Amino acid sequence: MKKILNWIMIFAGVFAAQAVSAQVRPPLSIDVNYSVASPLGSLKDYSGKTSFRGWTAGLQYMLNDQLSVGLRTGFQDFNEKLPRAVYPDKLGDVSAVQTRTLQVIPIQATAGWAFTKPDKPVIPYAAVGVGVANMDYKKYWGQFVESDNSWQFMVSPEVGVNIPFGQASPVLFNANVRYNYSPYKMGDITNFNSVQYSVGFKFHLN
Amino acid sequence: MKRTIYLLSSIAALAALISFSGCGKDPLKDMTAEESRIYITNHDSQANFKSYATFSIVDSVAVLSNRADTAKKALTDYDKQLISSVSAAMQSRGYTLVDKAAKPDLAVALTRIDNSFTNVAWNPGWWGGAWGPGYWGYPGGGWYWPSYYVVYQVNEKQTAIDVFDLKNPTADNKYVSVWNALWRGSGVWNTDNVASMVQASFDQSTYLTNK
Repeated sequence: MKKILNWIMIFAGVFAAQAVSAQVRPPLSIDVNYSVASPLGSLKDYSGKTSFRGWTAGLQYMLNDQLSVGLRTGFQDFNEKLPRAVYPDKLGDVSAVQTRTLQVIPIQATAGWAFTKPDKPVIPYAAVGVGVANMDYKKYWGQFVESDNSWQFMVSPEVGVNIPFGQASPVLFNANVRYNYSPYKMGDITNFNSVQYSVGFKFHLN
Repeated sequence: MKRTIYLLSSIAALAALISFSGCGKDPLKDMTAEESRIYITNHDSQANFKSYATFSIVDSVAVLSNRADTAKKALTDYDKQLISSVSAAMQSRGYTLVDKAAKPDLAVALTRIDNSFTNVAWNPGWWGGAWGPGYWGYPGGGWYWPSYYVVYQVNEKQTAIDVFDLKNPTADNKYVSVWNALWRGSGVWNTDNVASMVQASFDQSTYLTNK
């Protein structure tokens, strides 16, 4: 009798766990975030100002409670206007107000790992995005522009948290920090490095 | 129903993000005329600027257009201002202004360039000698900017100051340019800007002195 009772308890427990896991939220989600990015290294020398013009958007599919894969894109605009200065050039000295811009549009495949089960109130995670980025470089010398547009490899590791609005809510608040690296070389830029801070929402879709 | 609301709200949020920051700021939109201008100076690194004592300056300005076959001479208010500002700047650097007939060491030529593209053939030929070609990029040679530069304005007005060495003509009797300034951008043909553009050009050329 006791043995049977034990079995019932075990089964009940397993079923309960499965029920929670299966019903917390549907596997497919989309996310949109607002982004602020700080340039690092040679990118900072080129255009040193923190960029407040950025966003990211993505699509994710939960393979199980913790592992997800997805696709994402976004936009970040680095822009700095420097006071008039004289720049020595191989053909002369050029006095100019330089406006140095770089617009980045990544397209990346992502893989993410949640450190907790999806029924927790706070779900920390780590992810990595690997793909390409469109680099739109424009260095204005006064009204004259030196420009270059190219696609580059880009890798972006990320850590963040998802905070559901209630235990089984399909809507989650997201905050993350991402490091972006691209072996992009143009003018003064020897590599593209930035730290990107994002906040936004994640919506699970049926 | 709930799902539809989520879907719609997320699409709205995405659309808002894209319209908020979908494309970058256009730097040309909030640029003043002063900020749009660039002043390019160059010099012959072999030249000894202390070896020159006197200069003469043109009595009018050459106006050059790549839509016309020949250069014209002009003496507008702008041109008068240009002649006097450049003369004053040269004198402040220790050079003595003399008449063209008094065999000056340096010749100062002034040119306004009205380009409808980005290149122009240049041969004023009225100073009394052929200019040493190629040094500045015109006449003949390539333009200042590498080919990947894009000039936004199809019609561009420029002003150039060229200082030639009359003391040391080349073997085939051409004069070599020892200093140039080229102004590009909005308002370079505006009389009110002449003094500050001359000032900027000389300020960035500290070597141009016989002191």
